[in-house]
Order: sequence, then structure tokens, then C-alpha cells
Amino acid sequence: MIKQNFRIVSNGDSAITILFIDEISELLSQKIILLKSYVWQEFTDDLVDIIPAYQSLTICFKPYRDMYSRLEKSIKQFFNQNLPKLEYDSKLIEIPVCYEQEFAPDLIKLAKNCGLTSEQVIDIHTQHNYLVHMLGFLPGFLYLGGLPSILTCPRKSIPELSIPAGSVAIGGNQTGVYPVASPGGWHIIGRTPLNLFKADEKKPFIANPLDKIRFVSITKFEFDAMKKSQL
Amino acid sequence: MSMYFIKPGLQTSIQDLGRYGQMHNGISISGAMDPIALKKANWLLNKKLDSAVIEITLIGPTIRFESDMLIAICGANFELSLNNKAIFNDQIIHVCSGDILMFGKLLSGSRAYMSYSLSSNLPKVLGSFSTHLTANFGGFFGRQFKAGDKLFLHTGENKNAAYRTISEQYQINYSRSYLLRCVSSVESELFSDVQKTSFLNKKYTVSKNSNRMGIRLSDIAMKFISPINIVSSGLTQGSIQITPSGHAIISSVDGQTIGGYPRIANVISADLPILGQLKAKDKINFLFVSHQKAQQIFIEQNKILNTLFEEPEFQIS
Repeated sequence: MIKQNFRIVSNGDSAITILFIDEISELLSQKIILLKSYVWQEFTDDLVDIIPAYQSLTICFKPYRDMYSRLEKSIKQFFNQNLPKLEYDSKLIEIPVCYEQEFAPDLIKLAKNCGLTSEQVIDIHTQHNYLVHMLGFLPGFLYLGGLPSILTCPRKSIPELSIPAGSVAIGGNQTGVYPVASPGGWHIIGRTPLNLFKADEKKPFIANPLDKIRFVSITKFEFDAMKKSQL
Repeated sequence: MSMYFIKPGLQTSIQDLGRYGQMHNGISISGAMDPIALKKANWLLNKKLDSAVIEITLIGPTIRFESDMLIAICGANFELSLNNKAIFNDQIIHVCSGDILMFGKLLSGSRAYMSYSLSSNLPKVLGSFSTHLTANFGGFFGRQFKAGDKLFLHTGENKNAAYRTISEQYQINYSRSYLLRCVSSVESELFSDVQKTSFLNKKYTVSKNSNRMGIRLSDIAMKFISPINIVSSGLTQGSIQITPSGHAIISSVDGQTIGGYPRIANVISADLPILGQLKAKDKINFLFVSHQKAQQIFIEQNKILNTLFEEPEFQIS
């Protein structure tokens, strides 16, 4: 049985957020996703959306009826029982990344900041599996956990106005891929030819929470070939 | 059959009631910033209340109609003219092929909604016709209208338009000074009493940097002795975030789905449509209400609107 180390707080008149006290971890993310499927099953018709995050689950409901207390009661009940096993087969998804200079304007600076060579940064960045904690911020943006602490680097003090889609970046203790062009303050160390958000397709996103991501280094030649084959 | 944009206006885009259920994928709801005005425009033409319309922001477009149709405009009041003759909001307007509609000076509010009796061929993307202006998909090729654009239309499953107008009791006066009611939010309890009092006692001015992502307020809401650091979590519409500099940002339809600034409060659902009518220099006050009160206000608001729309109670999206 998992201890009740959570709080339920208001997130406006049509949402609540369950805040967990546990440290950010794969285990916690599993618990959050487990709760998400349970709540979704129990309240489908009254819900608008459920947003998992590192240490929380936000449940958006239609702004009527007594959803707040119904949800509160149900969530407490859920954690009072033996938690069922999570039925999700986590996938390992490879994201090809070209780390060559053309796509990596900040790689040299970041390497210097970390006391490493560019090659070492690429080696370390590609040797780890990263956990997808959640999607958010931009369509299909993956919040990844597990960046080795040696690669952490403070965000830029002045964000760039536009970072190209596919850019792979490090900001603070996080790494990620910009699915669409966007302003951003992370350091760009490469680019993937993959399209991480395909609005018109049946599966618009490449990963779900609890999947694992591995970055694989590719050459500019391979990048161009993969880009072409997607068109 | 089409509509031709001679001038596009500042930010003119296709919107419906929004793309719900995709926030967990990082996709904001989009949709009309003032959904009540959108529904009124659709109701006038006897269309489904959630039909896609054209959202017009601050500076309106000039449109040439290339077929006969009915239109209706609700929300912000502009000086409107059809072939240089004045026309007005909240009515059915019959336009003929070749007619030119001009949005002139903005008189009140910020966003107008124009519905049209014909249907467009645009596809739904992820369940909605709304244009996602930050990620560029949905609506009219994922973007706002440009000069020279042509929106193709066809006769849809149009019901007969009855003679409808919106009577005065349902018209909203955009006063430029608003009271936004709010309830507590995720980090409310992390703010000190002094900070909360400071937040509530101030009158705020809407900043010109406001947009569909959020309404920014130019006055400092409070001071921080030490910063409130939080772990990012789900960010809902109406969230009032306080930046480290002490400024308030009210999240709106295109806001981020995950946020990292502490939230002191959240605007109640019934008051969210007001966000769509705010413009630079408008004044805002906040008032805390209980959850029970927020729900009551929402139900009352829907009761009143439903007497207009003749919908069953509580049907909102």
C-alpha cells in the first residue's frame, strides 16, 4: 500500500490538482498515470482533460455539479486500496539527432560550460535513456527526466525569438526537442529530422508518458536523407 | 462561393468553441476568446452554436463577398459598413455577391465574431476547426488571414434562418472597467496574507502585450521577499500567474498547458469570456469568491443564455 502523501488543491472552479510529495521519479510517474486512467474511467462523461506532470495530476472537469467533492472522495478511496498493476508497456523510442555545427549553434558553449569537449557532450547525451514524464508547453513537447547532472547548464538569460522545429536542446537540468518553431531559452545542441507533431495524422505524437527516449547521433547526410524520406 | 479578404485586419482567424481534451498532449484549447459572442452570432443564423466563425481582433478586416449569404456579427462593436452604409451588431445581415464589408473604428470591446450562413470546406483538425495560431495548424491553413486570401464556402446543411435579433437584455456593455471574480488556485496558499491583500486591493491596467495566450497586467501586483519556486504543473484557462517581477498574467485560450509560475487565483468560468473583450488600458479588479458561489454564478449565467438559445440547461460545450 502506498502512503497518502498527496494533497488535493483547487485549480480554478473547473479543475483540481493532486500534488504529490514524493520525489520526481519513474515510480511516481507510474503512480500518476495509474491515477489518471482510474479517474478517466470513473468520470469520463464529466471530464474535459487530465494533465499529468512531474509531481501532479490536474483534472479538468465541466464547471457544474459537485465534481470537486466527488473527485476528492474517489481519489482518497483509490489510494486507500491496494493499487492495481499499471497496464502500460513502456516503449523505447529512438530519436535520431544530427549534432553537427550547422544544427548545434550552442554546443561548443555548452560543452565549455560543462568542462567537456563537444564529443563528450554528444557521447553522454546519447548514452542515456530519458523518461517521458509528460507532454506539454508546445504540442508534442516531451518533458524528459534523466539528464546526467554533468550536462546541466543554466538557461540563456535572454531567450531566442525563434528556435527551429526539431531542435534538440538542454536547459537547466532538462533536455528536450522543440516539436514546432518557438521562442526558447535552452541551448541548442542538435536537430532531429523527425517530425514530433503531425497534426493531421492518426498518431500525431511520437511518445506517451512513461515511454523512454534515446538519442542516436546521425550525420548530416543521414539527416538529409531522413528528412527527404518524410516528405 | 467565397469570401475575399481585401484587408486582413490585425488578427483575423477561424475559431470555434475550441479543441478540448488535448492539453495533456501540449495543445492549448484555442477557440474563441469570447465564446458567448460566438454562440450569439451562430444563434442569429440558426446554426449549431459551436459552428466555426471568424474572430476579429481590434482592427477589423475588409471583406468582399463573392456570393449571396447571411452574416451576423456579435461581440466587440466596430463602426461597420456594407457598401458604405452603416450596419450593426446583433442582427442578421443579408449580403450579396460583390458587397464590401468594412470594419471601421473600434467602439467598444476587443473581439468581434462573424458567423456566415454558408459552410467552409476546411477540415477539423484534432476535433476542432479552431486555428492554433502558435503551432500553426487547424482553421485556415493554420494561420490568420492575409490580404488576398479567399475562404471558399458552400451551401451546408443550412436550416432556415428565422428572423432573429438579440434583444437588449442579452447585450453586453463593454465598459473598459471590469471586475473579474476568482477562486483559489494551486499555489494560493504559498502567498502571504500581505501579498494576497496587495493583489486584491489594486486596480490593474491591461498591458498592450496581451494576446490570446494571456492577458498581461502592467502594474506590479505584489513584492516577493523570497521567490516562490514550484514544480511545473497543469495550467488551466483563467489561471492568474505571478511572475518573479510581481506582474500578473491571466492565462487564456492559447496559453501553455504546463506552467511554472505560481498561481495566486483563477478567474471563474463565468467570467472567462470577458478576457476576450479586454484591450490595452482597460481596468481590472479582482474579487475572491467561494467555489460554491462560482458554480452558482455559472449556472445563473447559463440559465439566462439558455433562455436566448433555448437549449437544455447546463449544455456548454
